Amino acid sequence: MRLHLLELILFSTYAELRAERARSYLGLAWWIIEPAMNMAVYYLVFAIVLRTSQPDYIPFLLVGLTLWQWFKSCVSHGSYAIWQGLPLIRQVKVPVQVFPSVQILADTVKFLFILALLLVILWGYGYPPNSAYLALPVVLLVELVFAAGAAYVVAAVMPFVPDLRFVIEQVLTVMMFLSGIVFSLDAVPEAARAWFVLNPIAVLVDAGRGILMHGRWPDWLALGRITLISLALYAFGALLIRRWTTRYVKLPT
Amino acid sequence: MNALVTLENVGVAFNAQLRAAAARFWALEDVSLTLERGARLGIVGRNGAGKSTLLRTLAGIIEPDRGRIMRAPVSCQLLSLAVGFIPHLSGRDNAILSGLLLGLRRRAIESRLPAILEFSELGDFFEQPISTYSTGMTARLGFSVAMQVEPEVLLIDEVLSVGDTEFQAKSGAALRERIQSGTTVVFVSHSDAAVRQVCNRALWIEHGRSVMQGGVEEVLSAYHAAAPAAAA
Repeated sequence: MRLHLLELILFSTYAELRAERARSYLGLAWWIIEPAMNMAVYYLVFAIVLRTSQPDYIPFLLVGLTLWQWFKSCVSHGSYAIWQGLPLIRQVKVPVQVFPSVQILADTVKFLFILALLLVILWGYGYPPNSAYLALPVVLLVELVFAAGAAYVVAAVMPFVPDLRFVIEQVLTVMMFLSGIVFSLDAVPEAARAWFVLNPIAVLVDAGRGILMHGRWPDWLALGRITLISLALYAFGALLIRRWTTRYVKLPT
Repeated sequence: MNALVTLENVGVAFNAQLRAAAARFWALEDVSLTLERGARLGIVGRNGAGKSTLLRTLAGIIEPDRGRIMRAPVSCQLLSLAVGFIPHLSGRDNAILSGLLLGLRRRAIESRLPAILEFSELGDFFEQPISTYSTGMTARLGFSVAMQVEPEVLLIDEVLSVGDTEFQAKSGAALRERIQSGTTVVFVSHSDAAVRQVCNRALWIEHGRSVMQGGVEEVLSAYHAAAPAAAA
């Protein structure tokens, strides 16, 4: 049963990626072009127009955006998944959790390509591999759990309140600015900073920059704290989906 | 008595609207039935009587909101065509995807791909995206995949054959063969002739309530006798 579920998720992910490639003229190239364009926009605004004077701004921005876009696409794609899967849910008996999981996995595959590209760029820029890279898988795994948890929670609610789709992008944008992706959080007042250590994305991006740019090991205490938050969110999301599983099929078409 | 599935006063409610205080709509009010091993049960009733909802409840897609459903540990599946098909994928990939959605293991589907290819008569088109298929070709693929699932209780909603004239004869024959091979079947239909042909038992439901379960002729004649009264 479990193995069947795994096979279903893996093959659906393959199908999703394959269909996505077939739907556009440039196909796979978009996996790289789309994030690159996004990075160019922020570079234009913050580095050129606003003349951000921060040293190392380009690698700072690239690492931040790479980690952020992965999270963002998991949440925004994953959150639609159950809602869009409703026609199928009415047709066959299929575990609902499959739908967001497939989106998260597909976005993770794409992220891995971009990550590889990012590493090459960083090496070219003069930030060579270092021993702190060993901590990178831990950081990525925590981010995956957090992204999956957030996606599950929104995905679980979306079929009942499809209006959420008008809100989710805005919430994500606010979250991006509160996570120090495009500018440093050093300017945040000391009093407010206590809250930022509870923001998993801020901690993860900070850890990622430390590893990739400065060869610095993560702050394990901060990482441990947000690991707990991420696991709790994941469990909550999975629980919501399980709890509401029998109700999705009864929603109006 | 060897009951595979028993329903006792089962009711199923759907949400009428996406509003917090929206009323619920009872598609099934009170249905009781017993399905014995090897039975071929026909379900008759007017449009909106709840026939399809009943079938999906038997399949386990819908959980009842009241009443009880008891199942022996058997697989109960709806004959579902073209489930989860994605236009940009090849016939082969869609066959695998659809098979997985219908509950088959990857290895089981892979080993049946030659049979699917042969039965669907798709030839080289099997490797082409199904967005290039005609309606008839998609139906052929859908049927060929669906027939690979061999549940102990087969649930059929109206469809006894698919595709163009030629394939209709072939698919109809394949399905009749499956039905006659001793599989337990629940068959929903508007057609008396089809029910007579397929079933050895019948259940009449009206406004989400089971009215009568018994022999096919007995139930059909009672159903038709009641028709004028219901229409009036």
